[in-house]
Formats: sequence, C-alpha cells, structure tokens
Amino acid sequence: MNTPRAAAILLAKELRLEFRTRELLSATIIFGLVVVMMFSFAFDPTAAESRRYGPGLLWIAFLFAGSLMLNPSFAREQTNDTLDALRMAPISSFAILLGKMLANFIFMSLAELVLVPVFGVLYNVSMAGIVWRLILVLALGTVGLTVTGTVFSAISAHARMRELLLPLLLLPILTPLLIGAVEATAALFTEQPALDRMWVALLAGFDIVFLTASWLLCDYLIEE
Amino acid sequence: MKNFENLFAAWMVVWAVFFVYEISIARRIARLREDIERLKQQLREE
Amino acid sequence: MTGRIASRIAAAALIFFAGYAALFIAPDEKTMHVIQRIFYFHVPSWIAMFCAFTVVFVANVAYLATRNAKWDWLGVAGAETGVVCCTIGLITGPLWAKPVWGIWWTWDARLTTTFILWLLYICYLLLRGLIDDPEKKSTLSAVFGIFAFLDVPLVYVSNRLWRTQHPQPVILGGSGSGLDPTMSKVLLVCTLAVVGVMIVVLMDRYRLERLRHEFEELQIEVESRIAEAPAIARERG
Repeated sequence: MNTPRAAAILLAKELRLEFRTRELLSATIIFGLVVVMMFSFAFDPTAAESRRYGPGLLWIAFLFAGSLMLNPSFAREQTNDTLDALRMAPISSFAILLGKMLANFIFMSLAELVLVPVFGVLYNVSMAGIVWRLILVLALGTVGLTVTGTVFSAISAHARMRELLLPLLLLPILTPLLIGAVEATAALFTEQPALDRMWVALLAGFDIVFLTASWLLCDYLIEE
Repeated sequence: MKNFENLFAAWMVVWAVFFVYEISIARRIARLREDIERLKQQLREE
Repeated sequence: MTGRIASRIAAAALIFFAGYAALFIAPDEKTMHVIQRIFYFHVPSWIAMFCAFTVVFVANVAYLATRNAKWDWLGVAGAETGVVCCTIGLITGPLWAKPVWGIWWTWDARLTTTFILWLLYICYLLLRGLIDDPEKKSTLSAVFGIFAFLDVPLVYVSNRLWRTQHPQPVILGGSGSGLDPTMSKVLLVCTLAVVGVMIVVLMDRYRLERLRHEFEELQIEVESRIAEAPAIARERG
C-alpha cells in the first residue's frame, strides 16, 4: 500500500477514535483557555498591552497545550501493543508517523480555532481583516509544532518520565518557531497589519527542515 | 582594577572548568580500570 | 600512553602561551581596555563548543548508519564536552557584561543562542539517562541529536533576526569588525588552545565510555558464568 493512502487510512482511524470520546480535544482546549485566563490575572493587561503581548501569550498557550496533548497520542498505541500490529502491516514507517502527524495537526488546529477567537473576545483584540493571514501563520506554526512533537513523542514513548520529557525535549528545539510565530502574529496585530515575509519564510524553513528530517529518520523511530 | 579581577576570574573559569571535568573523568577511569581488573581476575579463576 | 601524555603537555603549554598572549601580547583596546581581553577566551569557547557539537552530529549520523557502538560513545563524549564549553561561554559572557554594561545578562543574539544550545544538549544527555534499553538509548538519542543539530542554524538565524529588530547592547562590541592583525593572531592562538584542550578532554571522555562498555561486557560474562556454574557442577558430579 502506498504511503499517502496508508497515512490517510491511519488518519481516519485516529479521527474516528478521538471523536468517539473527544476527551483529548476537550482537555487541550480547556487547558488553553486556562492559560489564556491566567494571562489576565498575571498581567491585568490594558487593550494596548493585550495587542502587544497577545501573540506571545497565544503561542505559549499553544506550545504548552500541544506538549501535553502529544504524549497520549503515542501512549495510546502502547496500551494494546497496536504499534506492533502497525509495524507488521505492509506500510512504510513514514506512513505511520505521517498519519499521527496529520491527526495531531488537525487536533491542534481545532483547539487553536477555538482559542484564538476566545482570546480576541476576552481581550478586545479585533481579528477583522487579518483572518486569512492569521490562519496562514497559525498553520505554519502548528505544522512545525506537530511534526517535531510527534517525532519526540515517539522518542519519549520509550523513556521514563515521558510526561515531563516531551515538553523538555520539545520546547528548546521549538524556540526558532516560537520567535518566528510570535513575531509574525505580532505583525498582524499592529495598527497596519502586514504579513512579515521574513518570519513567514523562517517558519516555512523550519517546517521543511524538520519534515524532511522526520522522513529520513522515520525508520529509527518506529522500529522495534 | 576591578576589570582586571573579572578578566582573571574569566581566565580561571575557563581552565578550572575544564580541569575539574578532566579530573572527574580521570577518577572514573581509574575506578573502572580497577573494577575491570577485578572482573578479569574473577574470570581467570573460573 | 606516551601519546596521551605528549598531547596533555602540548595542551598545557598552549594554555599558558595563550594566557600570556591574551594578557600581554595583545594590544589594548580603545574603549574597554583590560576587560576586552575576555574576548580571547569567550569567543574560542564558543568555537570549541561548536566543534564539539559537530562531532556529536557526525557521530549520531555514523551510529545510525553503522550501528557501531563506538559512534555512540563519541556522541556522548562530544555532547558532554560541548556542554562544558557552553558553560564556560555562559560564565565568561556575564563576566564581560558586568563591567562594560553594568548588567549581568542580556538577551542579545549570541548569549541567547548559547543558552538555548546549552539547554538542547543537556536535554540530549538527560534523554540518554532516561532510556534503559541500551540499543534504544543509542538509536533514539542519535535521532534527537540530529534534530538538535539541524536546529542550531535555525536558532542562530532566528535570534539574529529577532535581535536586529529590537536592538540590544551587543556583548561582543566590535568583534570581527576590522580586527587589528595582532589581535587576530592572538585570537587564533587562543582558539587553538581552547579547541586543543576540548579535543583532549573529549578523547578522555570517549575512553571512559569505552571502558564502561568493557566493564559491562565483563559483568555480563561473569554473571553468565555464575548462572552456568550449577549446571556445570551437575555435569561433573
């Protein structure tokens, strides 16, 4: 079976599994909301401050929520040794990894689609006129987060203290992504919103580098 | 001159850090060598 | 054995000559005077760190390609040594900053990058500590190590772009911008000294890892002999 088709089938399985209970998705969204709320207690921002620090807050919320969400993704496979079954199937390792990455991307994106408007309402930050550009920046950032996050959840699945290890491995690696995403989002929240090409290029570069690396190294992640 | 103190401290830091690290490695190597000899002796007696 | 002693003596000699050169041969810098000489230790530690992390990357790729344990040992040696060099950079940086700018730390591009790399390779070492199975430990840490090294240019670029956007006091002042020829020569000598010491330390750490492996193999053999002893005794008696 070729890789895209296998990945699509695995993705469908992940989506079906998650939407049966929706527990991972709801937990992620609630956690994101809690972080967004704590921002107000910690900083009590004015409208101008919300515009200024909002991008940073949003992306920190996404990174933390993402780190917590990614672990259960691989841990699920270990409870019934389903990963062994997947290995024996006539599909490439990259298909298995890609299926997970796509699923994580969709879950994270759904969480963001809830959190960004809520943030806008709570802190009076208008999203008018920047919606599509904002979605582009969110997508590029989320791709980087889920690609590296899925790879590291596969790595930390074999280690002790994996709940702490995954954020620990992930967050330093993601600093270029955090800088790029925050700056690009901030450029959209200013008086004259503009899509900062330099940062968007950095985000795209980050995504391409790590997606390629995942593809090249996938066998070592999935093997016995 | 305060600046000279900082400069000297920096110079010391560079070599002290390497030195301490090197010493810890050397000590562990010596201990391992002893343990390896002990095990080899044990195997020879078998 | 003699090679090892010779390399140690050479490294020690280089250290003293480098120190002498940095303190007395190098000309005095216009604005910062004496304290600027930290530059001759701070920059080389950064270069040594980068060399060590390159060794880690090469070792990681080679391990995945060959599955030869020697590359795994080299990877650990390189990572630990690199973190040591990084620590030196993170200590000498503030020692320079305090007299010049009055602040211990600044989030300028280079210091921030060094800090992130420090965290990254400490995570590499932590990861190894948390995986029990030896084969998995080597394989998975190699994958992480490759990802970490690929991240290095991205970290550097993103920090540069970020900091040119929000200018901060630049720790290294006018370094590289029209360096006096004597200064360049002193810098070269100091770089050779620090990198030389780094290599000596790295090779020792490698040897430690190799001995550890030898010890574990012997332990397994002794234990299997002990386990077989009753069976052998039964055969004889």
